[in-house]
Amino acid sequence: MATFELYRRSTIGMCLTETLDEMVSSSTLSPELAIQVLVQFDKSMTEALESQVKSKVSIKGHLHTYRFCDNVWTFILQDALFKNEDAQENVGRVKIVACDSKLLSQ
Amino acid sequence: MASTTTSSVYINVIEDVINKVREEFINNGGPGEAVLNELQGIWEAKMMQAGVILAPIERSSQKQPTPGSAITPVHDLNVPYEGTEEYETPTADMLFPPTPLQTPVPTPLPGSADGSMYNIPTGGSDYPTPVNDNGSNADIKGGRPSPYMQSPSPWSNQRTPLSVDVNVAYVEGREEVDRGTSNQPLTQVITVLSGITMHRDCLFFLGLGELLGRIKRISNPNGLNCLGYVSFNNPCSHLNELRKREDFAQYQNGGYIPQKDGAGDATSEVAKSEGLTYADQSHPGNSDSGQYWSYGGLMFIDFDLTQNGSRGGNFLDRRHSTTTAKSKILAELSRSSSKIPQLDGPIPDPYEDMLSTPNIYNYQGVVNEDYNVVNTPAPNDLQASTPAPAPQNDMVDDDDDEPLNEDDDDEDDLDDVDQGEELNTQHLVLAQFDKVTRTKSRWKCTLKDGIMHINNKDILFNKVCMQQANLISDFVREKCSRHRIAAVALKEQVKGCYSVFHLGSMVVVLYIKEESIFGLRMDDYLRQLLAVLKTSAMEYVISFILYT
Repeated sequence: MATFELYRRSTIGMCLTETLDEMVSSSTLSPELAIQVLVQFDKSMTEALESQVKSKVSIKGHLHTYRFCDNVWTFILQDALFKNEDAQENVGRVKIVACDSKLLSQ
Repeated sequence: MASTTTSSVYINVIEDVINKVREEFINNGGPGEAVLNELQGIWEAKMMQAGVILAPIERSSQKQPTPGSAITPVHDLNVPYEGTEEYETPTADMLFPPTPLQTPVPTPLPGSADGSMYNIPTGGSDYPTPVNDNGSNADIKGGRPSPYMQSPSPWSNQRTPLSVDVNVAYVEGREEVDRGTSNQPLTQVITVLSGITMHRDCLFFLGLGELLGRIKRISNPNGLNCLGYVSFNNPCSHLNELRKREDFAQYQNGGYIPQKDGAGDATSEVAKSEGLTYADQSHPGNSDSGQYWSYGGLMFIDFDLTQNGSRGGNFLDRRHSTTTAKSKILAELSRSSSKIPQLDGPIPDPYEDMLSTPNIYNYQGVVNEDYNVVNTPAPNDLQASTPAPAPQNDMVDDDDDEPLNEDDDDEDDLDDVDQGEELNTQHLVLAQFDKVTRTKSRWKCTLKDGIMHINNKDILFNKVCMQQANLISDFVREKCSRHRIAAVALKEQVKGCYSVFHLGSMVVVLYIKEESIFGLRMDDYLRQLLAVLKTSAMEYVISFILYT
């Protein structure tokens, strides 16, 4: 199954990466194993988002920057308004990074 | 702070990961389950510290991590997000690397000190190679119609859908330039002449009276410096119209002395101040006038001087001569346009219907215009490739009094962009995109399976609809550098033009020398221009405003 490493930048991914980093540094863990954990995280996170998350969000904002490079879209929005079912958030500047979902299904 | 769903999903993910790597830890001489538990403990502790997991963790099957293991010294627990590198935009290299970049890079263990240890054991098979995907995607999606087409209207069959499927890298760019320059030399440019409009939306639906009122309002009180209207459609009838009014015009301006010494002056006499109005009246549906008015204040300030110095000022009062001169140009323009043959064959068949209406040349070569009266293929392509700023009137309003592009070399604009790109955003959305489309300056994106970190909250989502309005100034800023280069290059190469500059996404060539540009010699200029364009390999819309 193909995975994105995209989610390693999320909070949970960063926490895992830091943890692995420390453990490898202290020689508790071999780097190879750390990689395997990360790869497993990629898979698990992708699956979880697909199967366990059903919420929808809408974002509106002023597009400050857009970039499409190597199948990755990057947007920087200004004054973005995030809305989901029960709440909305205003954000002065948000970066959106999106990979092509079709790459996963291939 | 963390929503319960986010928290539980995170916990599930942690569990899932731990369970699935357990075998690796226990078998094959792995470090054993204790290490695995330590890993889980630290991970969860960090997550709690980051506030994205609600403590206590309720675990179904998994036993709690040993309390001690969670208290392994951690140097930066309070800084879950350290900004700079983490938030860099991932490129495909980072997202699908042969060697994951996100991997912790600690000091290597003794004995395993080469970089190969970081290679993913499965090799590249787990990672789609973007290179291959590029090709297939583009093939599949090329020319896919956008869902955001304009709604039907009386003009709608003449419009092109301006949506661009921006998921596909543009490949048409090069062809456009070629086609625009080689196949349709003259008509191409001429049609673009009338193709720059800004206020078409409102003007299109103005009644005749309103249109005239507007034109008078703009041209009379302080309008000495603006010549607004160029009609390229149906020039013959245009002239006839003017001729019919000749007597009337003469009477109206009793003291006016016709100028007999030059070509085309007869017409221009007629045109005069009245002619300007009549010209518009004869084509009430043509809204391009609005555009030129908008530009007028910016562009044509020098016009009066030229005219007064050359001819009109000899025997007419200044104001009158100006008006006359303007009208003269108007007439000359329409006359010269009647002389310019269409060199690229008949107007395409699908548009035959529209030819009965006089708007043949009125299709809008400039991208992102709403009312594309007629679209020949070439401008169509241009539309696809180069978005133009829509609300250009903003710019007009801003620097009404100063010369255009006076602060051209101001680096601030570019600096801004750089800043924007390097700027670290605390708020981050990571997702997969299904579709990204753009209609004019409005972007719509459908994202899915994403994680947001917004206002220190983690939000997971299954689907996102994103609507974005392009900040026009940013867009222009982004385009500026390229066009500036082009403008400079053009100015060096095209002789006889008064000024070449960039305006938004357009490169504008402004001619002031009326005598040399119009009439038969106009062809030479355009050819020269096109030859330059052809060699300069520019990939964007070149729009010309030719003025005398």
